[in-house]
Amino acid sequence: MKKIIALALAFSFSALAQERVTLIRNATILTITKGTIENGSVLIRGAKIAAVGKDIAAPAGARVIDGTGKFVMPGIIDTHSHTGVEGSVNEISLPNTGMVRIGDVLDGSDISAYRQLAGGTTAALILHGSANAIGGQSQIVKWKWGRPVSEWPVAGAPRTIKFALGENPKSANFRPPEGTARQYPQTRMGVEEVIRKSFTDARDYMAAWDEYEAKRKRGETAIPPRKDILMDTMADILRGNIDVHAHCYRSDEIMMLLNLADEMGFKIRELQHVLEGYKVAPEIAKHGAGGGTFIDWWGYKAEAYDATPYNVALMVRNGVLTSINSDSDELARHLNHDAAKAMKYGGLTEEEALRVCTINPAKQLRLDNSIGSIEVGKDADLAIWNGHPLSIYSHVDTTFIEGDVYFDREEDLKRREAMRKEKEELLKKEEEESKKAKAGDKKEKTK
Amino acid sequence: MRLRRFVALLVLLCPVLLRADAPGVYAITGGTVHPVSGPEIANGTVVIRDGLIEAVGANVTIPPDATTIDVKGAHVYPGLIDAQTSAGFAAAPSRRGGGGGGGGGGSSERPPEPTPDSLAVRNVKLTDDLMNDGRSIGVTTILTAPSNGIFNGQSVLLNLGTGSLESRVIKSPAAMQIAFNPRPTWTYPDSLMGVIAYLRQSFFDAQRHGAAREIYARTPAGLQRPEDNPALDALQPVLRRELPVVFIADSELMMRRVQTLAKELNVRYIISSARQGYALAPELKNAPVLVSVKWPTAPADKEDREDQPIRVIRDRRMAPTTPAALAKNGVLFALVSGPGKAGDLMPGVRKAIESGLSADDALRALTINPARIFGVERQLGSLERGKIANVVVSDKPIFEKEAKVNRIFVDGREIRLPADDKKPGATPASPIDGTWSLTVSAPQGNVSIQVTLKAEDGKLTGTYSGDRGSGDIRSGTFDGSAFEFAISATAQSEAETTDWVFNGTLDGTSMKGSVATTLGKFEFSGSKSE
Amino acid sequence: MRTLVALLFATSVFAQSTIPNSPGVKASVAIRNATIVPVTSAPIANGTIVFANGVITAIGTNVAIPAGATVIDGTGLSVYPGMIDSGSNAGLTEVDSVAGTVDTAELGDFNPNARAAVAVNPHSELVPVTRVAGVTHVVSTPEGGIISGQSALIQLAGWTPEQMVVKSPTALHIRFPRLRSGSPFGPPPDEEQEKEAKKTYTKEIENLRDLLRDAQAYGKASAARAGSKSVQRFDRDLVLEALVPFVEGREPVILHANLARDITAALKFADEMKLKVILSGAQDVGRVLSEVKSRNIPVILGPILALPSREDDPYDLLFSNAKTLHDNGIRFAIQTSDAHNTRNLPYHAGSCAAFGLPKDVALKAITIYPAEIFGVADRLGSLEVGKQASLIVTDGDPLELRTNIKRVYIAGEEIPMDSRHTLLYEKFKRRP
Repeated sequence: MKKIIALALAFSFSALAQERVTLIRNATILTITKGTIENGSVLIRGAKIAAVGKDIAAPAGARVIDGTGKFVMPGIIDTHSHTGVEGSVNEISLPNTGMVRIGDVLDGSDISAYRQLAGGTTAALILHGSANAIGGQSQIVKWKWGRPVSEWPVAGAPRTIKFALGENPKSANFRPPEGTARQYPQTRMGVEEVIRKSFTDARDYMAAWDEYEAKRKRGETAIPPRKDILMDTMADILRGNIDVHAHCYRSDEIMMLLNLADEMGFKIRELQHVLEGYKVAPEIAKHGAGGGTFIDWWGYKAEAYDATPYNVALMVRNGVLTSINSDSDELARHLNHDAAKAMKYGGLTEEEALRVCTINPAKQLRLDNSIGSIEVGKDADLAIWNGHPLSIYSHVDTTFIEGDVYFDREEDLKRREAMRKEKEELLKKEEEESKKAKAGDKKEKTK
Repeated sequence: MRLRRFVALLVLLCPVLLRADAPGVYAITGGTVHPVSGPEIANGTVVIRDGLIEAVGANVTIPPDATTIDVKGAHVYPGLIDAQTSAGFAAAPSRRGGGGGGGGGGSSERPPEPTPDSLAVRNVKLTDDLMNDGRSIGVTTILTAPSNGIFNGQSVLLNLGTGSLESRVIKSPAAMQIAFNPRPTWTYPDSLMGVIAYLRQSFFDAQRHGAAREIYARTPAGLQRPEDNPALDALQPVLRRELPVVFIADSELMMRRVQTLAKELNVRYIISSARQGYALAPELKNAPVLVSVKWPTAPADKEDREDQPIRVIRDRRMAPTTPAALAKNGVLFALVSGPGKAGDLMPGVRKAIESGLSADDALRALTINPARIFGVERQLGSLERGKIANVVVSDKPIFEKEAKVNRIFVDGREIRLPADDKKPGATPASPIDGTWSLTVSAPQGNVSIQVTLKAEDGKLTGTYSGDRGSGDIRSGTFDGSAFEFAISATAQSEAETTDWVFNGTLDGTSMKGSVATTLGKFEFSGSKSE
Repeated sequence: MRTLVALLFATSVFAQSTIPNSPGVKASVAIRNATIVPVTSAPIANGTIVFANGVITAIGTNVAIPAGATVIDGTGLSVYPGMIDSGSNAGLTEVDSVAGTVDTAELGDFNPNARAAVAVNPHSELVPVTRVAGVTHVVSTPEGGIISGQSALIQLAGWTPEQMVVKSPTALHIRFPRLRSGSPFGPPPDEEQEKEAKKTYTKEIENLRDLLRDAQAYGKASAARAGSKSVQRFDRDLVLEALVPFVEGREPVILHANLARDITAALKFADEMKLKVILSGAQDVGRVLSEVKSRNIPVILGPILALPSREDDPYDLLFSNAKTLHDNGIRFAIQTSDAHNTRNLPYHAGSCAAFGLPKDVALKAITIYPAEIFGVADRLGSLEVGKQASLIVTDGDPLELRTNIKRVYIAGEEIPMDSRHTLLYEKFKRRP
């Protein structure tokens, strides 16, 4: 009998866990890929979008959210983030630091992740910094605030790595402290050489291992070559197992990288910042690289002096898979602004503008099968807005990742007072204990 | 007559014999004995012979050759084990801000970075003062290793007794010590993720090194010979899982990273520091944990406290519950001073007890648990026949706030504790103690040097910094008014150093005298800065 | 015209913008059949606005159009006052990483005699980039140190700095010393660090106080000397001299402070020194409302699109401060503090409206409110007969992200709608 009860309980619990159902009803659904549905509904079952359309009935036990006057959009995807990293985001010390991994130092307590959820951003590519021509391996995550950070990386996401071109990897704008020598490279020529040499060395490394394996097959005694994590990484890039997302500014360095990659036999996945991308947009499109940029920032460095907000429109018009990203904890909270500006600067349509912050970055991250649009079968990563996301007057009400609520404005407002009280009480308790302890010590001394 | 001469000769030739406390047999009686290996014994007896425990019990026959020590009303414990310190090693410069930032100062301020083959036992400098800091709170055994660098070297477990360092070693190496300290900016690895990659690569290199050696030893013909590499040699016992690794990890995030990394590297490991252990206590069963009792403190300023995130404030209140949480979850753990000083140990343990740890568990965490963690439980950690006679007598139960350690035995010998009114580490202030600003009138111009001095029993110690470099003063003496000390002055343009010997007299808060250098003698004067 | 412009552009170098400045013609213009939004009164549908010689002469639905006026069909368009940014380095910087082009912060703690008015570059690329987005006026603000210098309210049109400057000094800028011994995110400071920080802080405030007292004394002595030659002559001190109008309460001082304790300390200091105060930044203004209100101090909020400084601060703190001030009857304006993106001023204001501030008040915070706060409301900030014709023609609400600015007039002169960005766009749009 006990066994039966246990089984029944187990079944019902698992059933509950799987069947967490939410219906968002009577909102404007911006599906991104399948048009806009007025007075539409989205049904979420567990982690997935189960239905999208007009007039979806609420299953028994479903939580129903009244979406009247609201807009539902997929979660925004930011392909350039440095949020959630413990310690320095740069391993500055060497020109090629491809052996280090952002994935080793994720920090789930970074409040910036929560603040981005409040702006409708649900997923990001967390990158190594731009101090090196070849930087460390990056990490694709969803901002699952409150969950252990081991759950943040997206299962099945491609491996990625950071390249950087231009002023930063050649240390144009910072000097080592007194007593430390300046480091190669100091010119764009040197940056090219670092990348070229790394791949050349990688080919030699792969050859040395092939020779060793051949020797072993023949039964010969041999000492294995050194297993070198950096060379393994470079080899994986050549084999197409790691996507390169490259920080770049000037058109000449963009051309350098595209040509070098072609020569080495792999494709650059996405050019980032790529502020002069508009100058060589046809070439970028021909190579097949995507472009991830921001609208407004220009003039902060010499290489950013020719940046224009029309960059997105020009790249899109030339067939480049274009996204907008943040490179900023702050901008990542309102990437919808940048998407809207792409309409103003260069005349993207509303559909095109919405794509640059949703399905386009999803494609750049090879995750367009699971995120980036509101379609049946995709992950329920979406946000409910109180107005059109491309309007300055809108804000996010609720953000879902895989069907779970990770941000809700009403809950946030309610929590504030409780948090303030808790803090006050904890500090009061602490102060009292400290006073008691000091009094105790004094008594000690006078004994 | 002959016998007498023989004995006299023996006496002349064997100074060690003369020094030994004769005869080495004691019976400590009348106190409440806490063996740890069993229930406490009211009015119990502990018999010590030749450095080992001969008997423990309620009705033990006192041997006729024993000296009886009556400790009625007091409590008798096994000597406490502080299983993670850096006593006897220079402190690493403090890092302000997050990891990856540059460390401070020039190379003269940084102690050299240890390597995997650095042996703590070769490099530790334990002074009597340092050892008394531990002894006066009942600690008879410590594990120590440097705290700077990534590989901190191999730690040593030793007794705080008298005699040579070699005679006090219990186990060396005790463990391979690894910390996650990034190097100064521009030196690989200067970020936390760099440190992790560096460790991974080091272990791959060690594996290859071991394999290469093995293959070459079998059939050298036709093969490139492996290079000599003491660091990679030192990692071989770790790869074979014979030598455990102590990973220094304090936060929940870092502890989880250690668990993942240790699994990846396939090493036996121990986590040390662990002050956020409360957050993942049930998941810490796979490996022993050394919990540092130097609990986080609040900023002094009230507004600074209010500006802190609630997360930090909550953590500060939860951290001392870590030992209780680990005990509850059956995790094998010890309480250690870790990054703190010896003087932090007892207040920290008391805080843990206030926060839910039982006094019994606390005692185990300072005796049998650390002994087990480092594989010396057959020799230490409880009052049992055959074990090393490290015994502590305290006038009250040892964790009570007013408890005082009356007597301490290490390796069966009683160690005299510093006088009553001396707190650990404190010595009466001498008029020369403090920081002085000196000006030397050299022909090429005035030279400014700051010295921080401390006098004790006629000896003068301290540090200097300023126009001629920085470092420790040498050969310092002070007789109450006249002083002398030497520094290794670095001339402005050269890499060499020459000795500058200061000779002067003290007058309240000023001093004057002369400096002897290779270029001649110059006058100097100075005044106290603070 | 465009080809000529494009040719001129091809030889551009830092900050020698070859985009033509104002043509020097204050034409007579009538914009007809547009929605006129005066800001200080209700919007007028199908309205007409007329201006000539740089001044607005008529607004209404049935307005006479003077002979010879250029008539612009405003069907489907709106007319708004030009927007005013209450604080940005625009004009004082070109490329942040190229020191030779950056003039925002002089060396040292006390530079009251550093005047933005003499260093703004009328031919900076930032000028056209900003004005084609509808921001016509900026309070160009020096930074750095404790007393950064004097700001200047400039219009973004003119061949010389003198032609650009509308009001100088606009204010003296004091970045009140911050008592902070560690970062709110880092490890708590130890006692040593805390002591050090307190010492530095106290010293800085003492130095500031001494300097201002010296300036008061200097002012008194100067006035006496000016009044009577029998008063002993003394050498001039330009630093103290620069401070005199501010320490005598005749010109405003803008105190920059964000955290509650710094704002409180700053206001107390201002009381002591009897300064005429405007508060700037003021992230924590919600905690010190009564202190601000009782002193009748205006507040310049911004940047709005920025992060709160504490982990525990509400995520929308900076967005909702404007509503808090509005609800409590405290006068305020909005700044971007971002030279290269002063053009985003309407979006800083619009973000406040997304979090409770009424839309029309958001518009006021970047038009009439700053004009009032800086004492130029007789000329700027709204569309009223007699005020300057600094206005923009848009295809919608200028605070909205998708709205396009169609025309810009500054002091009655039509501004070419070209900027470095539009020209690069045109050039590469035509790339074969």
